[in-house]
Amino acid sequence: MKKIKIFFSALLFSMISTFALADFDWKKYAGEKIVFAYDIHPYVDALVEKLPEFEALTGIKVDAQIFPDDVYWNKLNLEITTDSGAWDVAGTGVQPTWDTSVGNHNVDLSKFLNDPSMTNPDYDYNDIYPSLRSAMTWDVKGEEVVGNGKGVWGLPHSFENMNLMYRNDILGKHNIKPPKTLPELTATCKKLKQVEPGITPMALRGVNFWSSVHTAPASIAKSYGVVDYVMKDGKIADTGLDSKASIKFHKDYVAMVKECAAKSWPNDNWYQVVDALTSGNAAMAVDANMFGFWNNIKDPDGKNPSGKISFAPPPTAPGAKNFESNIWIWCITMPSASKKQGPAWYFMQWATSKKMVLDGAMMGKMVNPIRKSTWDSADWKKYANQPEFNNYYDTFMEVQDRAELFFTPRYGFGEAMNAWSVAMQEMVNGRPVEETLKELAGSIRAGI
Amino acid sequence: MIKQSEENSLKNFLILPSVLVLLCFLFVFFYGVYLSFTDLKLGKPTVNFAGLKNYIYLWKNPLFWKSTKLTVYFTLVAVIVQAFIGILLAKLFSTKVFFAKIFRPIILLPLVLPPMSVALMWTTMMNPERGVLNYFLSLIGIEPFMWISEYSTAMLSVIFIDVWTYTPFFTLIIYAGLLGVNQEMKEAAQEAGAGAWITFWKIELPFMMPYVLIAAVFRVIESFNQFDIFIGTTGGGPAKATTVYSIYAYIQSFQNLNFGRGTAILFVNWWLVLIGALITIKLYQMARKRVS
Repeated sequence: MKKIKIFFSALLFSMISTFALADFDWKKYAGEKIVFAYDIHPYVDALVEKLPEFEALTGIKVDAQIFPDDVYWNKLNLEITTDSGAWDVAGTGVQPTWDTSVGNHNVDLSKFLNDPSMTNPDYDYNDIYPSLRSAMTWDVKGEEVVGNGKGVWGLPHSFENMNLMYRNDILGKHNIKPPKTLPELTATCKKLKQVEPGITPMALRGVNFWSSVHTAPASIAKSYGVVDYVMKDGKIADTGLDSKASIKFHKDYVAMVKECAAKSWPNDNWYQVVDALTSGNAAMAVDANMFGFWNNIKDPDGKNPSGKISFAPPPTAPGAKNFESNIWIWCITMPSASKKQGPAWYFMQWATSKKMVLDGAMMGKMVNPIRKSTWDSADWKKYANQPEFNNYYDTFMEVQDRAELFFTPRYGFGEAMNAWSVAMQEMVNGRPVEETLKELAGSIRAGI
Repeated sequence: MIKQSEENSLKNFLILPSVLVLLCFLFVFFYGVYLSFTDLKLGKPTVNFAGLKNYIYLWKNPLFWKSTKLTVYFTLVAVIVQAFIGILLAKLFSTKVFFAKIFRPIILLPLVLPPMSVALMWTTMMNPERGVLNYFLSLIGIEPFMWISEYSTAMLSVIFIDVWTYTPFFTLIIYAGLLGVNQEMKEAAQEAGAGAWITFWKIELPFMMPYVLIAAVFRVIESFNQFDIFIGTTGGGPAKATTVYSIYAYIQSFQNLNFGRGTAILFVNWWLVLIGALITIKLYQMARKRVS
């Protein structure tokens, strides 16, 4: 009897799903054309490859405009904030969207998500990892961004969490274990310098832009108890960057940079990190985990060091109970000036649908996938657990539980965090840590 | 009389397009100046007139004064070094030495490269660990140099790149000037017993100076506005060591989204460019007067 009940329940569920799917009118905007803008990136390569499927499904034509990284961010800011209306969907990150949402330059997508006539019942927004959904959710009050709200300002498309990645061929050769704390990391670098003098112990971003602090520094600092802002009654009351915890963290971090990083550290960006890991010029990095994943992919040309990069959680403060991992989310947003919001929303839900996320991941491009169902799928498990990816899958599952956005939602995020990256350069250059942090905190307080 | 009036009307009509184009240029300039008196921030829905707020902020900000010093230092050192080397190379090219013939066309190569490519090329070569420059230095037993990666050497390294890129511009113009030096005057001086050095110092150099200074006018303007080489190499770092006005304005406008403040920096820079250019033009006029 129980089996019959289960059978009929499953049948009923399947029928409802089928009717729901059949009910959703994918052809509602057939014949429309939208413009989709993104940075040159494997994430968008996956989408572009699958565009014919979307166009066949909906009858909507997509003009994908893909720009080089250096050009894209300035263009994005100008296109969105001037309400040009030239783009209907734009790829971006959470932090830039804080800045553009305050002037109502972005569409709050909750109106579409909550409208059954606009969102495919199979979409399953809650299948996206909670930390990603919560990072994209805030309210705009006046000219301020207030976190933990109801507005949804973008859909996560793929994301990076911060891992310690290491060349297992180099560390294995000298029987060196991946370090677990920041001081251990510094000591490991010292040892590596002795046994492998021809390489840089660690590839590390150091440019004077906030992208340098959102990888290793933000992840490790959090385990020291550092916060960017101190909240009181739901409002930003102060900065935490000159706290005792922050001073301790920065002293350890500066010592690590001096011991571990390349001499070109102040000019090194993510390109140099990837290059150093790929070439074996560096033995470790604390950065976006998909750099290691992509380098591990089997490459017929032999350019990638396939299988040589292993993963571990980011190092912590000495004695910390847990490691912490910051995340960077690539998301797609809709500019308010778009005159084709309906078709644009159709494209957005397709681009972040279960099928597309799984397909993109299986292409080895949309990594890390944003949906829990993808990580649970047998296909993705089989793919991501191939020998060349080493412990990528298991480390992701371990890290993801503690991976979340370090930064507090705020308009003007860039100004304060860019100042942090410049302060980091000053401290590594020899300026006293306490004095530098005091000045940094003073400049941030002036802007609160 | 009527004819004269009609002719004037026709003339005015014909120059109207030029006046319109000029007005368009001026509009953009004055709009930029206006923005510097507002609190325009990209993304924010409201823009308010802020009076002198942006300028007062800059006045009180130590980074602004540091940036002023760096901008003036970069311009002065780069232009003077370029002029000096430009004179030497132009003098070399005016001789009949075999190498002069070969290098005359090659020397122009840096000028035709896009500045951003130049910046990226030098960034790679100046890598302290894997750059080719330190490799060459190691061949002659010199310790690795930090180039653009250290506070104390970054600005000099950027000046070095700028000198490499723009010295050919000086060379080209000065060389053209040298070709115009009166040969009879040189020969007369030599017959009167003047040596090569005296001939150069007393005859050639004064003739060259107007050319040197006219090249300097262009280079002063461009150096105050230099952006590509800075953004492509140091981005203003390490630790603000190369944050000249153009970089400071870029960071304020595009990274911090504060367009009001960014345009205020650029307006101050415009005054510096104007003063620098006027001084150089005055020197040029003095040099010309002396020659004539």
